[in-house]
Amino acid sequence: MTSKAKRRRKENVAAPTPKITWKEIKRQKVLLFWSAAIVVYGVIFYYLPLVGWLMAFEDYKPKDGLFHSAFVGMKNFQHLFSDATFIKVLRNTLAMGVINLAVTFIMAIVFAILLNEVQSRKGKKTVQTISYLPHFLSWIIVTGILHDALSGTGIVNEILVNLHLIEKPINFFAHPKYFWPIVAFANVWKETGWNAIIYLAAITAIDPSLYEAASIDGAGRWAKIRSVTLPGIKPTIMILLLMNVGNVLNAGFEIQYLLGNGLVQSVSQTIDIYVLKWGISQGNYAIGTAAGIFKSFVSIILIIIANQIAKRNGEERLF
Amino acid sequence: MKKKQLVAALLGMTVLSTMLAGCGGKEKPKETEEGGVKEFTAFFAVPGTEINDDNEVQQKIAEITGAKCKETWLTGQTAEEAVGTMIAGGEYPDFIDGGDGMVQLYEAGALVALDDYIDDYPNIKEFYTEEEWDKLRQDDGHIYWIQQFGNIYGEEKATTHNDEAFWIQTRVLEWAGYPEVTTMDEYFELIESYQEANPTMEDGTENIPYTILCEDWRYFCLENAPQFLDGYPNDGSVIVDPDELKVIDYNTTPTAVKYFKKLNEEYHKGIVDPESFTQTYDEYIAKLSTGRVLGMIDQWWNFAYTVNDSLKQQGLTDQGCNYVPLPITIEKGIKNQWHNSGGVLNVSSGLAVTTSCEDVEGALQFIDDLLSQEVHDLRFWGVEGEDYNVDEEGLYYKTEEMRTQGSDTAYKASHTCTYSYFPQYSGTSRDGINAMKAEFQPTEFYDGLSDKVKECLAAYGAETYVDMLGTSEAPGAWYPMYSFSNNLTTSTPGGMAWTKMGEIKHEYLPKVVMAKDFDAAWDEYMTAYEGCDPQAFLDEMQAELDRRMEEAAKFE
Amino acid sequence: MKEVYQSKTKIKKSWPDKIFVVLNTLFMISFVVITLYPVLNTLAISLNDGTDALRGGIYLIPRKLTFKNYITVLQKDNLITGAWVTVLRTVLGTAVALITNAILAYIVSRKRFLFKRSLSLFWVVTMYVNGGMIPVFLLYKNLGLTNSFWVYIIPGMISAFNMLVIRTYMSGIPDSLEESAQLDGAGYTTIFIKIISPLCKPVYATVALFVAVGQWNSWFDAMLYNRMSPEYTTLQYELMKLLSSVTNQSSSAEAMKNAMGSVTPTSVRAAATILTMLPIICLYPFLQRYFITGLTIGGVKE
Repeated sequence: MTSKAKRRRKENVAAPTPKITWKEIKRQKVLLFWSAAIVVYGVIFYYLPLVGWLMAFEDYKPKDGLFHSAFVGMKNFQHLFSDATFIKVLRNTLAMGVINLAVTFIMAIVFAILLNEVQSRKGKKTVQTISYLPHFLSWIIVTGILHDALSGTGIVNEILVNLHLIEKPINFFAHPKYFWPIVAFANVWKETGWNAIIYLAAITAIDPSLYEAASIDGAGRWAKIRSVTLPGIKPTIMILLLMNVGNVLNAGFEIQYLLGNGLVQSVSQTIDIYVLKWGISQGNYAIGTAAGIFKSFVSIILIIIANQIAKRNGEERLF
Repeated sequence: MKKKQLVAALLGMTVLSTMLAGCGGKEKPKETEEGGVKEFTAFFAVPGTEINDDNEVQQKIAEITGAKCKETWLTGQTAEEAVGTMIAGGEYPDFIDGGDGMVQLYEAGALVALDDYIDDYPNIKEFYTEEEWDKLRQDDGHIYWIQQFGNIYGEEKATTHNDEAFWIQTRVLEWAGYPEVTTMDEYFELIESYQEANPTMEDGTENIPYTILCEDWRYFCLENAPQFLDGYPNDGSVIVDPDELKVIDYNTTPTAVKYFKKLNEEYHKGIVDPESFTQTYDEYIAKLSTGRVLGMIDQWWNFAYTVNDSLKQQGLTDQGCNYVPLPITIEKGIKNQWHNSGGVLNVSSGLAVTTSCEDVEGALQFIDDLLSQEVHDLRFWGVEGEDYNVDEEGLYYKTEEMRTQGSDTAYKASHTCTYSYFPQYSGTSRDGINAMKAEFQPTEFYDGLSDKVKECLAAYGAETYVDMLGTSEAPGAWYPMYSFSNNLTTSTPGGMAWTKMGEIKHEYLPKVVMAKDFDAAWDEYMTAYEGCDPQAFLDEMQAELDRRMEEAAKFE
Repeated sequence: MKEVYQSKTKIKKSWPDKIFVVLNTLFMISFVVITLYPVLNTLAISLNDGTDALRGGIYLIPRKLTFKNYITVLQKDNLITGAWVTVLRTVLGTAVALITNAILAYIVSRKRFLFKRSLSLFWVVTMYVNGGMIPVFLLYKNLGLTNSFWVYIIPGMISAFNMLVIRTYMSGIPDSLEESAQLDGAGYTTIFIKIISPLCKPVYATVALFVAVGQWNSWFDAMLYNRMSPEYTTLQYELMKLLSSVTNQSSSAEAMKNAMGSVTPTSVRAAATILTMLPIICLYPFLQRYFITGLTIGGVKE
């Protein structure tokens, strides 16, 4: 059934939706009933709070509330985009968002595939259980360990000096150029195992007969990974990639906040840190909301573009 | 069949959850009386420790006052966020200290004006003078909150210098024969020569001659020394010229240049810790705890509580690793004001009663009772016979056992109840003998010192840390200016400039210290600094200074 | 079936395959070492005396063994209430969220469903927009969700992410199964319960894990909506309160004095971390079974 299954999967995605007719509605009444209930729920819990976006166009004061604060139009947005600092944090956020997305994404897939190739069932189970543990460490613990490892007397400098790659220890946190890679590495370190769970689940769904068939065709491990595993988890990869494209502006807050210092602040500050510094910790919620709207706006545009590209190429898509 | 069951189950669940949600959401009556004891609630927008519900001292206080208060503290939010959501919801606890969000609460009309009530409560009334109460008035002329701290009753009992200073380990002073060190140059010279003679500790660990903490808001350890070096008190954000009553920017004074130039030189000599500008607070505390650091600028409370414990545990106190403050100024002959006598009234926040409180009289009675000597002693000394003893002359003292017990975390949670964000005194008790708080009892303080520190203090003819610095008179009526700059927001040009200046200083001050060419780096810093429009900030500070002096003039 | 696949590959082990196995094993070992270190380090610090740990230099073995940090954590008042509420919210919240997400995913993965595209978009958008803390707070307050247990269950019933994960999996199930069931007269509900769901065990396990971990770890909702209702406190909120009281983020002398004594933030934090990890570590092997059984289930023949 191998080729058939593949074809079917494609069909599932590309199948045309029937026209809206009474007959069809009646046929789907169960589905329609539940989706209506779910939409009502969604409107209440996700869309209703969006009236909060009004705040971004107001000189919001808690005492006046959402509906009685003075309306200021686009002032808050103008403030954001005329501020050189915001442009800088926007750059940092984008850069770290893209780097993190790329490396954590690739690492999770690579790890899931390689783990799947481990022969011993026990070994596989053990490695997997260990792999997601760092997910439960808070950033403050992870950054603490990272600070230790990268300090002047830390293990990294020790190794580099002993290998004569450098002459004297590098103070990694004093140079802006090291900051983004450190953040990316920390993300990989903490989340690879956790992110791989979803791919591992997807791999289990692959029909073993496909591997058998490949073996009979004389395929080695690499060939099987390429021709069976990867295509098998492609829908999952595509969906997650699409979703994460929308998250590039959510590059994080805690890790940059905890690892940053005055010397690297020009590359370490993200939008979220900016909002905390210039908005919330000054009692200015409007700035935070404006930045939030901007982020949502960019995310949705990115998602729609990515989704269209996926659609055009006949790939899995979000909607 | 199955299908119907599932639908029914789901529907049932939805209905049930909606109903339960409705029930669960009902308002609970506040100030519940439990066995005749009024129960108040309080929220403090600062991190703090919750005590157990069956806390012993709290119970004792409830027996005396007929009231208790359940306190909650800030967790994982900024004060502004916590206060912001409370205002949006319109529900408050009975008592609140909004910290940095205090003004928001006032503007939202969430607080009860206290001025009509104060006269009826003698202990509250006594807490401040008319002039001080006036300083707490908001722009509508009413008093909404009572600043809890910095109030000294009777004679001051100054022991610990709780504030900022150049600190140095006693072993350095001992090695040099306890010399007189009064200028920054002498201070670094001493550290240099000690380091040259003793590059390591007894166990061979290398010394770190001088380190600087610059993490986030704690960068005061780097940043604000120029005000002290010129002999001014800790106004925090500006210098106030007491004769002319003009604000001066301490970031640009010749002293500031000298100070940072000195740090730059010392950095290149290897005296200043190269990790200064990248270390976190945890790492800084860890360094100090190893006893390796010879000296630094810091405020006592920022390091001493944790570091001293650790030094003691490792026996490093006997090696002279404890810190004492030195009266450093930029050059000889300047009267230092690292330590000022008198209380500090920080008008920017305090304890308030909210409009949600249904028993304002009861709430104020509770505050009043907490200030009575009996309850105050329970709060800050504990239970007689359990936490302290009294000798024939009426002097309170603790045994070593009591001290150990008192520092135990579990004991604190189940026994001690200081109501630490309610109004309180330091200074001398109403009995005229004891200190209001155990930590300020001179005998207690002295017994707690290590031999090396005692020896060092004696060598300088001092009995306390404060004696090392000498005391200055309380500054003028404007003091402290930081109570104004703390509440600046980016909504005014001055506040905007203030925030930007902070950003620039965070980035450039480390660069200036590390720079190969100091002068060029300083010029670059100054260009960036001027770009923040510091004048806008100074103008607002000057206006506030003028306003405060005008207010004060009414009482002369 | 897995056994078959393995035995066949064993026979055909070629040179490149052997190299692959060696390299892969090396990779896995270094991965485990690098990943396990922070966890073991945290464990060591949690078992070490707090003030002693300040000196640093603790790697894998505690230098001054003590259980004081754990005692400090476990002695916290309200911890039992919190644990109880947390267990309840984890179990109930996971069950409810799994059912609702599965239903939604089932609906949008029906290729005949009239609004599958718009309904997906409707939920995808929710991943990237939010009204902010204050409007959400007002909404929950008006719905009667504040000072209530249900704030832990109801607002999180559906998450677009989990829905999409299930949908992707469901769309990989051959349509022929559904078609033949329809021919037998089965309705959408029967197909969902009897045909699709049994095949979705691995993805249900994954989503259950995601939701359960989220429920177990969350504390912000407890703080925001149930601050004044100690009966609805959660384990993590109690731990957070403990941590923020020992954390030296206090900005004043008063706050500093008010913080706890002999234990230090680092060590208490380590102990709290280990304690919260434990239940998840216990839960995981149980769920992992489904990831592995999925292998056999995947092999349903037409």
